[in-house]
Amino acid sequence: MGIGEVWDLIAMRPMTNVLIVLSHQLAGSLGWAIIVLTIIIRAAMLPLTLKQLRATKAMQALQPKIVELQKKYAKDKQRLGAEQMKLYKESGMSPAGCMVPMLIQMPIWIALYWSIMKVLAATPEDFLGLSRYLYSWPVVYSALPLESIFLWLNLATPDHLLLLPLLVGGTMWVQQKMVTPTTADPQQQAQGRMMLWMMPLMFAFLTMQFPSGLALYWVASNIITIAIQYYVTGGWGGLVSARATKPTGKDKKYKERIVRVEETPPEHEALEADIVVPSSTQEGLEDAGLGDKRQDRGGSYPKSLRQVRRRSGRGRSRRSKRR
Amino acid sequence: MWFKRKGIWLGVILLLLVALLGTTVLGCIQRSQPKGWSGGTVADGTLFLGSLEGKLVAVDISNETRLWAVLLETPAPAGGGCAAPSVPGAIYGNPAVDGELVYIGGYSGKIYAVNSNSGAERWVYPRTGKLKPIVGGPVVSQGKVYIGGSSGKVYALDAATGDNEWEFQTGGEIWSTPAIVDETLYIGSFDKKLYAIDTITGKEKWAFETQGAIVVVPLIYDDTIYIGSFDRHFYAVEATEGKQIWQFPATDEDKNKPESWFWAKPVVYNNVIYAPCLDGKIYILDAKSGEELAEPIDVGSPIASSPILVDSSIIIASEEGKVYSLDTASNQVRELTSLKEEEKVHAPLSASEGTVFIHTDEDTLYAVDSETGAKRELYIE
Repeated sequence: MGIGEVWDLIAMRPMTNVLIVLSHQLAGSLGWAIIVLTIIIRAAMLPLTLKQLRATKAMQALQPKIVELQKKYAKDKQRLGAEQMKLYKESGMSPAGCMVPMLIQMPIWIALYWSIMKVLAATPEDFLGLSRYLYSWPVVYSALPLESIFLWLNLATPDHLLLLPLLVGGTMWVQQKMVTPTTADPQQQAQGRMMLWMMPLMFAFLTMQFPSGLALYWVASNIITIAIQYYVTGGWGGLVSARATKPTGKDKKYKERIVRVEETPPEHEALEADIVVPSSTQEGLEDAGLGDKRQDRGGSYPKSLRQVRRRSGRGRSRRSKRR
Repeated sequence: MWFKRKGIWLGVILLLLVALLGTTVLGCIQRSQPKGWSGGTVADGTLFLGSLEGKLVAVDISNETRLWAVLLETPAPAGGGCAAPSVPGAIYGNPAVDGELVYIGGYSGKIYAVNSNSGAERWVYPRTGKLKPIVGGPVVSQGKVYIGGSSGKVYALDAATGDNEWEFQTGGEIWSTPAIVDETLYIGSFDKKLYAIDTITGKEKWAFETQGAIVVVPLIYDDTIYIGSFDRHFYAVEATEGKQIWQFPATDEDKNKPESWFWAKPVVYNNVIYAPCLDGKIYILDAKSGEELAEPIDVGSPIASSPILVDSSIIIASEEGKVYSLDTASNQVRELTSLKEEEKVHAPLSASEGTVFIHTDEDTLYAVDSETGAKRELYIE
């Protein structure tokens, strides 16, 4: 049995048949079936998604320290690697923490993507090919072909009203913006901006060519991700903090103090002792359950920084009030 | 500083390349285009068929040369990303020939009548605008052309002028080619029904409902309509009243599990029905009782291409391109030949004087000797 057959057996066929059965159960609506299956799959993978989100957030929080190390050991790559590993180890996390949950989820997303494509059967050839993926359940063969009209959409063709490309691009932008880390480095800011716009634009462009059914899956998936991010990482993240951090006097003072601390030549012991993050990202760390590993053990930072942390704590309580 | 900037720009370029590649690959994967699977129709020594390039082609059978080819379906722009600069219009149904005109429907939603000698267009329906895609083929009878469309309508057009005589609306898409006897037209629909329609008035005579969609071209034999359905059952239906005579479930070896759809048109010979199925089997059934007369013939690959009777043998092409001859006397099958490995066969077979014509999904037309299996490639482009 080839790898393609194994893939079909364990992923494609089950997913395709479940989609057809769901469609049958939901009054023959393929649109609702796509949305419901997306919700079911995202719910089943929630623990992995949470793990990934938290690990990503924590990695972002470590970024200032990584940059600091990169500056310090710019000429000694070996030492840089060792110091980075040390930092990861002491913070109780690893870069793989972001990747592993994502890698586990990938095959499921791909199977869902292909199942939707299969079921949509945009051409007669696709429809003929669908027959080999079907189980012998009576409900499956009596449900086909599925109704491809959903709201204003023909799910097998692109949305000519262009509402769906806007929805796909818009939800993806919001989702990205929420997790885009704030950084003082203008080059990183430029890179972040590019990422923030490129993916939504690319997917909006693809939506103009793809069957609407697939775009519907993207919209549903993006909205679920936004909801998860909202509840897990604490609010709208970068979506509102970008505006909130606009030049109030206190913010300026706060930034200046952070810069002053970062400019202080870091001692090696200090790096081992703690990881200092801006207040906005610290919330995420505490949410992620990493706070216990990252408690200020004291003594490693100047007094001024402790004051900053206290202030940031006050800021947090004010924000939660606003929510 | 330079290294840092360089790194960022390299990252940005890499990101753009990945995005471009992703767009291209995803776009190409997604944009599976309709190709077409038109089979041939033989009339007066000429084979007519729709090519994958959107052309109606006429081939002289005697010397196997192309007489003419006329582009019916205007290529549509590919929309960028993929290699092909444009996408040919697809033709799925077999042409119908009547006198000096050849009729064919296109996936673009147009029905054409062209001169069989020159390929010159006589008329096109509709004259402006388009219908929904047409997958089935036309049938000509008593001065009218009948064809079904994805709109779910059966269209009756004046064969000489293309004027609309009547339309009949079904509850689902129509991919099937109609069959006509006397003044009744029989056609299956995605709404799971087989319809009998009066060809004079365009009114429904009766409808027979199955549990699945019907794309099979109805076989009419001895006042009975034989048809397979997506519900994995094969039916015999009384032609005048639309009552079921018998039904046969396509089952696996344990006889308890339905297998696959019926897609291709069955063949009848000496009161025996040969019903091809997408499960790769040909079921051999008694036309009167529906009893299985012999073990089904398993060709190991789906049969989407309608087989054809040549003398007393049934020639079958499996999807994977193997061609078989089924001896109706012994119900034994032998392999005649294999086509190229990458070529698939979905188009119905046609035959003339012991030669079977097979149109593949690579747009190759094969002429296969039904006795020896010797094959020749005919270039239709």
